[in-house]
Amino acid sequence: MNKQQKEQYLREYGQLKSQGKPFFPYAVAKDGAMAVLVMAIIITMSIVLGAELGPKADATTTTYTPRPEWYFFFLFELLRVIKPPALVPLATIGIPTICMILLFLLPFYDRNPERRPERRPIATTAGILTIAAMGFLTYLGASAGPPSEIDVPVPANVSAQGQMAVANFKAGQAVVAQSGCGGCHKFGENGNDGPGPELTEIGRRLPAAAIARTLVNPTAPMPSYQGLQKSNPKQFDEMVYFLSSLK
Amino acid sequence: MAKLKLPVPPVPPQLKPLPKRPGKVYGPQTPIEHAGEAAATAVGWIDERTSLSGGARWMMFRKVPKGTNWFYTLGSATMFSFLSQAVTGVFLAMYYVPSSTRAYESIRTINNDVFLGEFVHGMHKWGSSMMVILIFLHMGRTFFFGAYKYPRELNWVIGVALLILTMTMSFTGYLLPFDQRSYWASIVGVNINGTGPLVGPYLSDFLRAGPNFGATTLSRFYAIHMLLVPGAIAALMGFHLFLVARLGTTAPPWVRAKSSEQLREEKVSS
Amino acid sequence: MADRTPPKSKYTADRNIPGAFEGETVTRRRFMTGSAHTVGAVAAGAFALPALGFALGPVFEEKRQPWQAVGAETEFAGDTYVPRTITIDATVGDSGKSTVYLRKYNSAVDSEPRDDYNNYIAISTACMHLGCPVHFVTSAQRFICPCHGGVYDFVGKVTGGPPVRPLDRFYTRVEGGQVFVGPRFSVNSELKRFSPRDPGEPLDGVGQFLYPSRPTMRKLPNT
Repeated sequence: MNKQQKEQYLREYGQLKSQGKPFFPYAVAKDGAMAVLVMAIIITMSIVLGAELGPKADATTTTYTPRPEWYFFFLFELLRVIKPPALVPLATIGIPTICMILLFLLPFYDRNPERRPERRPIATTAGILTIAAMGFLTYLGASAGPPSEIDVPVPANVSAQGQMAVANFKAGQAVVAQSGCGGCHKFGENGNDGPGPELTEIGRRLPAAAIARTLVNPTAPMPSYQGLQKSNPKQFDEMVYFLSSLK
Repeated sequence: MAKLKLPVPPVPPQLKPLPKRPGKVYGPQTPIEHAGEAAATAVGWIDERTSLSGGARWMMFRKVPKGTNWFYTLGSATMFSFLSQAVTGVFLAMYYVPSSTRAYESIRTINNDVFLGEFVHGMHKWGSSMMVILIFLHMGRTFFFGAYKYPRELNWVIGVALLILTMTMSFTGYLLPFDQRSYWASIVGVNINGTGPLVGPYLSDFLRAGPNFGATTLSRFYAIHMLLVPGAIAALMGFHLFLVARLGTTAPPWVRAKSSEQLREEKVSS
Repeated sequence: MADRTPPKSKYTADRNIPGAFEGETVTRRRFMTGSAHTVGAVAAGAFALPALGFALGPVFEEKRQPWQAVGAETEFAGDTYVPRTITIDATVGDSGKSTVYLRKYNSAVDSEPRDDYNNYIAISTACMHLGCPVHFVTSAQRFICPCHGGVYDFVGKVTGGPPVRPLDRFYTRVEGGQVFVGPRFSVNSELKRFSPRDPGEPLDGVGQFLYPSRPTMRKLPNT
């Protein structure tokens, strides 16, 4: 802003202020009403939801799935999305630091004297996009299930075959979840996206025989499940049945 | 016998009783009426010695521009939720033990045995979410209304610092209940600091007070959460508020001042 | 800025100050200003420096990891892992413990040279992305991290996801038929030993210089 624009703003603002109302009691009444509302929400949340305490901290666990508080979900999801190990410092330190610097310096690089949001299309669009991106990452982070669990709906063609098929499907789901497939493959909302392909609809692409062959003779880096086939053929068959019914 | 008239002692003029004012008398007369004015008298006594009333009047009776709407209450609501956090935090600190072996049990005691314990704990827990939401909404309002522009740039910078401090509060406070969720979230958080090149490894050692999660890690987090960051937030919030009062709250960007006919004519003629 | 007054000469003689002599610049006021700043800095330093040292002290203090027995030699096989709990810090109760996965050295999968410290392989359960607890899945022969998608193979090398180096290991030694687990060390992608680093700190290429080892934890000498 140059000197003339500054003076023009201050003059306009001075007029607006002189036509305004005193802070007390007009603005204070609104602030007070808002404070009462905020307090009412906090008290209601505290009464309804309470302060739940999880199990005691256990540093020896190997089965716990850590998750952050909801307002850090966007950062959590950013860490999940950025896969290459070389880019890890970028996700952990780089992007948050850049965002903070951009936030700090906002008034110094946005020199546009205009204040109405509809006349600052770049700033407004950037703001809306940032909020949308953070909202989207928060949603993804919140819905990310642990890779040791799988929760997909029973397909229609399985439930049509009766109770036995559904039980078989559920058993296979449990075997696949325990066998660590979620470490590399995605099943609906659960599991990790990569390095293996998504398996949500694998039954559509491969017949049961081909799935069984891949499990025994996979391409690296996938591990072979030949050991499971030998030691527990029932579980192996359930696994193949579950995967081939994912359509 | 003529009445003996005693001579009047020489009284200095300052000590002579004032003659009664003519007409009706205002103000307190009887001791009871004086007692009723005690509050005003006390305020007057303090003001005579501090001259604070000028500042209070400057703060409270400044004008806010016309068009000020409900969006302008978000900042004060954030401050209010901070005050609520401070008060509930002080009461939680009366029962909490910052030791890795006893922290979890002390929170259990607060939840199960202390009168209203779970309620106050819940207020502190949900109040933190509320404060984070409100500070983001307040920042969004400032951004979309262009309120960070001249002459309020410095106040925006202070606001961003307050946002970061608030996030630091929620990070350090998250460890304190010492359940599984908080323990592992803190491990990940400390390791995130460690991924900064060169200084990162030393920073994580500093946060943990050693190479591993140890005896003083929890008390470190507690001291940062309890004393260091809240002090910084309170100081910056005071400065933030002073600048708001000094520069005035912005008007919504679409509100235009009505200039009088006379002013417009002057503009044309000049 | 043409209307500025010209700066005063710094020499007392030029400014006609009584008692001035040639070449002198320090006036009484200048001297007092300087002393006020010095005294202020000394007073602030007197409390700030000890406080800072107090807070930073643990960063330079070495923590030694004692050797501890985890079981008889016969309990560990070469083809699968057995979890064992070890104590990292005895003063903090349960949060000072950790789980390690142990197995016997297996020349079919282990390529690193054998010495006194790797007759048994002890693998840390901290994910090398950001330290979440990894879990060994027997049927897949993989270590899987529940947080951000890290997957490691049987010897602990990264096969998928964002982890920056293989899983950390612990020194092991055998005494009287018992397996002992000692200090932790980090490995790069060729399983070469380095001083222990925190998760998220790569050791390949320039990584070992960007993320230096710290005074709090060092590798065993001559290993």
